[in-house]
Amino acid sequence: MTAKTLEAEPLITLVGPPNSGKTTLFNYLSGKNYKTVNYPGATVEYSISKIQKKYNFEGKVLDSPGIVSLIPNSPDERISIDSLYSHPTFGIPDLIIVTIDASQLSRHLLLAEQLIESRFNVIVALTMTDILNRRDKDISISKLSEELNCSVVKIDGRTGNGVEELIKEIEENIINIRGKDKVEIIRFKDNLPIEKLIDFYKEIEKIEHTVIIEKNGTQNSGNIKKANEKLNVLNNRSNNHNNTLDNTTLKIDRILLHKTWGLVLFFLIMSLTFTSIFWLAQPLMGLVDDLFGYLSTEAITLIGNNWVGSFLANGVISGTGAVLVFLPQIIILFLILGLLEDTGYLARGAMLIDKPLSKIGLNGRSFVPMLSGFACAIPAIMATRTIPNKRERLLTIFIIPLLSCSARLPVYALLLAFLFPMNKSWLAGLVLAGIYLFSIVSSAIVAGIANKFRGTIIKEEDNSSFILELPTYRVPKLQVVATNTYHSSMAYIKRAGTAILFLSIIIWFLTYFPDYNPKIDTHNLNQEKAEQIISSERLSNSFAADLGKFIQPIMKPIGMDWRVGVSLIPTFAAREVFVSSLALIFKVTGDKGTLQTSILKEMRQATIAGTGQKLFTTATIIGLIIYFIFALQCISTLAISRKETGSWRIPMLQLILFTSGAYFLTFIVVNGLRFLGIN
Amino acid sequence: MKTAAELKYGEKGVINGIDGSHPSSRRILEFGFTPGQEIQLINMSLFNDPLAFSVRGTIVAIRKDEAVCIKIL
Repeated sequence: MTAKTLEAEPLITLVGPPNSGKTTLFNYLSGKNYKTVNYPGATVEYSISKIQKKYNFEGKVLDSPGIVSLIPNSPDERISIDSLYSHPTFGIPDLIIVTIDASQLSRHLLLAEQLIESRFNVIVALTMTDILNRRDKDISISKLSEELNCSVVKIDGRTGNGVEELIKEIEENIINIRGKDKVEIIRFKDNLPIEKLIDFYKEIEKIEHTVIIEKNGTQNSGNIKKANEKLNVLNNRSNNHNNTLDNTTLKIDRILLHKTWGLVLFFLIMSLTFTSIFWLAQPLMGLVDDLFGYLSTEAITLIGNNWVGSFLANGVISGTGAVLVFLPQIIILFLILGLLEDTGYLARGAMLIDKPLSKIGLNGRSFVPMLSGFACAIPAIMATRTIPNKRERLLTIFIIPLLSCSARLPVYALLLAFLFPMNKSWLAGLVLAGIYLFSIVSSAIVAGIANKFRGTIIKEEDNSSFILELPTYRVPKLQVVATNTYHSSMAYIKRAGTAILFLSIIIWFLTYFPDYNPKIDTHNLNQEKAEQIISSERLSNSFAADLGKFIQPIMKPIGMDWRVGVSLIPTFAAREVFVSSLALIFKVTGDKGTLQTSILKEMRQATIAGTGQKLFTTATIIGLIIYFIFALQCISTLAISRKETGSWRIPMLQLILFTSGAYFLTFIVVNGLRFLGIN
Repeated sequence: MKTAAELKYGEKGVINGIDGSHPSSRRILEFGFTPGQEIQLINMSLFNDPLAFSVRGTIVAIRKDEAVCIKIL
C-alpha cells in the first residue's frame, strides 16, 4: 500500500524524556526543515514538519517538549501534556513515537508505559543502544515489543540507521489504526497516588529483566528470579545490572564539582563565556552597523533628501539595522550555551549556584540567563525557557533588564570620560567595573524584594524545586546545536524584530516631522558641517523636541533640561543612540574620531537656559549613570518580555517600576550630592 | 528513620520509601527513586546543597529539603 491511499495526512507526535535523543530523531524525520509554533497564549514551543520527501511517506511530525511523565509538575508541563492529549491546532495524534534511551531503560520506560496505558498508539524508538553495548549488554527488541505490546525500532542517533525501518513501522501502524474504530484516550489523573507510580516501576523492572541480555549470552533473568518478580522491587539490591554509572563522567565530576576547584572552574568557564559573547560579537556588530550606515547613506543619495528618502534611510534601514545589530551576540550566545548544554556541563553549573540563588527566590537555572543579560536582555530573556518553575522563571525575566547590557557601555564610556580626565582613564575603568558590580548587587536586591512581595509582582505560585538530571558527559553535536541556534535566531528576528522595526519607525517619525527646514547661513562651512548643523536644527524643532520640552518639568528636579530629555527619547529604540543624539542636540560637528572629545567640550560648556547654571556637573553625570543602570528604556526588551511572559503585566511593571525607580534614585543622588556640596 | 539528605559523602543506602506528603515526592519517584533502589551520594554542591545522587545508572541533583522525603533503610 502506498501513502496515497491514506485518507488524511496522519499526525505523528514525538514524545520523550529530556536527553533521550528525541530532537535528533526529529531532525532525521524532518530533514531539519521545520517551523516553530507557539501554543496559543503560552510560551511552550513546538516544532512541526512534514516527513522528509525521501522517505516517501506523507505525514506531519510534531516535536513536543521533553517530559518525564504524563503527570504535570509545572504550568508549562501541564500545557505540554494537555496538548499531547489534544493539541489545539493539530488535534489528537494518530500515532506517538516515544524515544527511550536503552541505557536508561528503567527510568525512561515510565513514559512509554503511561502512554500505552492512556491507550495511545505507540511506537518505541530505542536510542543509545551503543552505550548499552559498551557495557557488554544488549537488548532484545522482539521481547521488548512483546512485553509492551507495541512496535519497537532501534535508532542510531549518529548514523541515522533505523529511521527507514521506523517509517515502515509507522506506515503499517497507521494502516492498522485506520482499519479499526477510534479508541478513546484516557487521561491520567493529576493526583495519581504514588503507589500507582511504584506499581509502574514494578512492571518496568519486570520488563527490564526480560529484555536485557548480557553479552556473554546468558539472559539476565533466570527462572528463579522470575519467580521472585513481585519481590524484585523490594529486594533488588543485586539487580543493578543495567545501572552502571559512566566512569569517565564520575572522574570529570570529581574535578568539575569539586568543592573549591569546581567553583573556580565554574567562574572561569562563565567569565570566558561572557567575555566571548562580548568580544567575539564586537567586530561583527561593527560590521552590521557599518553596512546599514552605508545602505542608509546610499538610500538618501539615491532617493534624495526628502521624507521618502529619510523614511527609508533613517526609519526602515536603520530600524532593520537596530534589529540585526544584536544578531551576532544572539548567535554566539546560543551557540556557546548550546554547546555547554550538550556536553552536560550546564546542568552542573546550575547545581553549583542553586543554593545562593534560591535565597533570593531564584533557581540554579536562572544563572545562565542572568549572565547573558550582560550581553543583551533579549537572548537572556529567551534563555529563561530552561527554568521549569514558572514563578522563578518570571522573577528571572523580571530582573534581567537590571543587569547592565552591552548597549549601555558606550553611554557609560562617555559619561565616565566626562568625570575623569584622559590621564586618569584607569580610574574610569575601575569605576566601570564598579558599575557592573553595582548592577549585580542591585538586581539581587530587587529580586529579593520582588520575592518578598510574591503575589503582587509575580503572581504565579509554584512549589520551588530543584531536581535535575546530571547527564553523562559527551562530545557536543555541533550540527544539532547549530540547527537550534539558527531556529532561535530566526525566532528573534521574527518576533522581537518586527516590534523593534515598528518602534524605530515611530521614533523616526517623531524626530523627522514636522519636517522643519532651517534657514542657515552655510557660507564658510563645508558640506558635511552644514548638513550636521541642519540635522541638529531639525531635531530641535521636531515632535521629539516638543516631547522633550513637554517633559522639561520632569527633567528639572534631576538637574537636567529638555535637551537631555530629547536625547533620552530615541534611547527607547537603542540605548547607545544616546551618545549620537546628544551630539545632534548640542550641534556637535566634529569628525567621527574626535566626536567624543567634541561632545565632551560642548557638554562642559552647556548651561541651563535662564539660570546660567552648568547643565552637566559631577552630580548630574553620576545621576545619569544611575538612571541608565536602572531605567528600562529598551522597547526590544519590553517586546520580548511580553512574548515570553505571555502578557503585558510583567513588561509594564518593569517599565513603570524600573523607570520611575531610576528617576527617583537619580533625584536622590543628584540632590543628595548637591546637598553635600558636590556639584 | 534516616533520609537521603543525611547520607554522608560517598555513602550508599537503599530506599525504604518516599514520603508521599512532600510536594516533590511524585517528581522524585518519576526520576527513578523507588523503594528498593540503591542510591549513593556522589557529590555535594556549594554549602552542601543541592546533593547529587546516583540512581538507576544516572546522576540526579536534588535540593536538600526535597531529598528529606527519600527514606533510607
